[in-house]
Amino acid sequence: MNQSAISGNRVRRRPLWRRKLFPYLLVAPAVIYLMAITLYPGVYAIYQSLFFVRFNEWTFVGLENYRELFADADFWASLWNTFVIGGIALTIEFVVALSLAVLCYRDKFIRGWRIIFLVPMLFMPSAVSYIWKLAFNDGRVISDLLTRLGLIDARLDFLGNVDLARLSLIVTDVWQWTPFLFIIFVGALQGQDAEIEEAARLDGASWWSLFWNISLPIMRPIIAVALILRAIDITTMFASVFIITGGTPGGTTETISYFIYRMGFKTFNFGYASAASFVVLVATIIIAQLFVKRFFHSGKD
Amino acid sequence: MRYIILLTWALFCLAPVLWFLSIGFRPRTEIITPQPIYFPTFSLDAWQMIWHDWPMASYLRNSVLAIIGSVVIDLVLAIPAAYSLARYSYRGRDDIGFYILSTRMMAPAIVAIPIFFLFRNLGLLDTVWALMLVFAAVNLSLVTWIIRSYMLDLPHEIEDAARTDGASDLSILVLIIIPVCAPGIITASVIAAIFAINEFFFTLLIASTQNSYTLSVALANFTGGSDGIIYNAIALVAFLAFAPVFLLVLAIQHHLSRGLTMGAVKG
Repeated sequence: MNQSAISGNRVRRRPLWRRKLFPYLLVAPAVIYLMAITLYPGVYAIYQSLFFVRFNEWTFVGLENYRELFADADFWASLWNTFVIGGIALTIEFVVALSLAVLCYRDKFIRGWRIIFLVPMLFMPSAVSYIWKLAFNDGRVISDLLTRLGLIDARLDFLGNVDLARLSLIVTDVWQWTPFLFIIFVGALQGQDAEIEEAARLDGASWWSLFWNISLPIMRPIIAVALILRAIDITTMFASVFIITGGTPGGTTETISYFIYRMGFKTFNFGYASAASFVVLVATIIIAQLFVKRFFHSGKD
Repeated sequence: MRYIILLTWALFCLAPVLWFLSIGFRPRTEIITPQPIYFPTFSLDAWQMIWHDWPMASYLRNSVLAIIGSVVIDLVLAIPAAYSLARYSYRGRDDIGFYILSTRMMAPAIVAIPIFFLFRNLGLLDTVWALMLVFAAVNLSLVTWIIRSYMLDLPHEIEDAARTDGASDLSILVLIIIPVCAPGIITASVIAAIFAINEFFFTLLIASTQNSYTLSVALANFTGGSDGIIYNAIALVAFLAFAPVFLLVLAIQHHLSRGLTMGAVKG
């Protein structure tokens, strides 16, 4: 390219291959960065999962870690616990958040105060875990309040009972993250056309049929996106398990994240933990391909 | 009826917060008692303690450095990526976009062990640099997608006009697109910063000593051996981290639902 072409019209004269390459060059740094932090660990985990690792000593054991893992009751239990705790928490959060959002999205007064509903979300999850650890267990506040209300006679041991231990994790999650769904739903409801709503209301539609026939269909893709994001974070639940229950009693509150952490960084069985990581990774990829792709495509534009 | 329901939930949101605030300003002896004390004596014990017994200044510095550093890395990588995904069409674009999005779904536990070894081999374990790099990776997908969503909203005439004037693609991005998308970029930065403040799992693994603790993980080490967990200090640090987050969220309130859904809600 000569001097006059550059000073003339740079965009037009630039060779075609460079113009085609440009968008790839823009996106490349981000992709390379993410690959370094996801693809590299993925490959590393597969490799390490074929070894028995003791400090710096690696012994090749083939698929032994996987055989052991699939026979490990703790592993299956952690998947089940994650499903039960996460499923219940997500259901409650969804119902509460949607109800609250529907109740207040056109109310100017409440809209001014809605930051109150967001407060729990603005604390660090580790701090929230300590709030509820103290309330349920160490400070016995929940037991005391329930006794005062006449609902129970004796102090409850929230760590000693499977259901109560799980309940404390569920309450912690619901308290902190219902606001996440709430604010998204309020945003989605506010975004819908106020005139259509008004017209339907003038036609005598009840608020329920208004919600069911107008709001809900519009919101469906947003509900899907919000639930997917929340579900991802719930299945990776860690801080509250680490701080509140530590997996007790008897491993019944151990989530899959905590299982991998315990295998890797408490028993230092890195090869085994890597095998577990890889199995979860495969499951994640399958779920992502099946669900997330679809909903995020309908969620855009 | 409507107001009763909303008021009940508001109470459920606020009561634990106020009670926890009272924990922060009471003496140790009034925290773990046979009967909970709801109206404690006022005390600044914990305030003294967090500044004298622990390197609080260093926790704060680590948090701030890791957060700002990670957000800067994210913006440098995400703005061009978002521009490419939003304003060009080319082969593989949607797959690349989905790949970036899908890293948001990766459980930290899956990559934790390799990343631990990676940083150990690089000699970065227990440094604030490692935290910065990891936080940036954790948030990159959402920062990219949020900014992409704001860029999608712009009419194509913006670029076409500039292009006929002879502006290069890069100068269009820097001089035209970035200023117009400032709300999206700010929203993305705030949300990334909040997630970085909250980050617990990776920090726990990477920060093996007090050298690189952030506030989020420092909390979990406020235990005094036989004294058990020091709740009043934890409470104060929790509110110390809460205050800036609260202000940031107030500032971007109207973009929050859009940011949290990575652009799916245009509320």
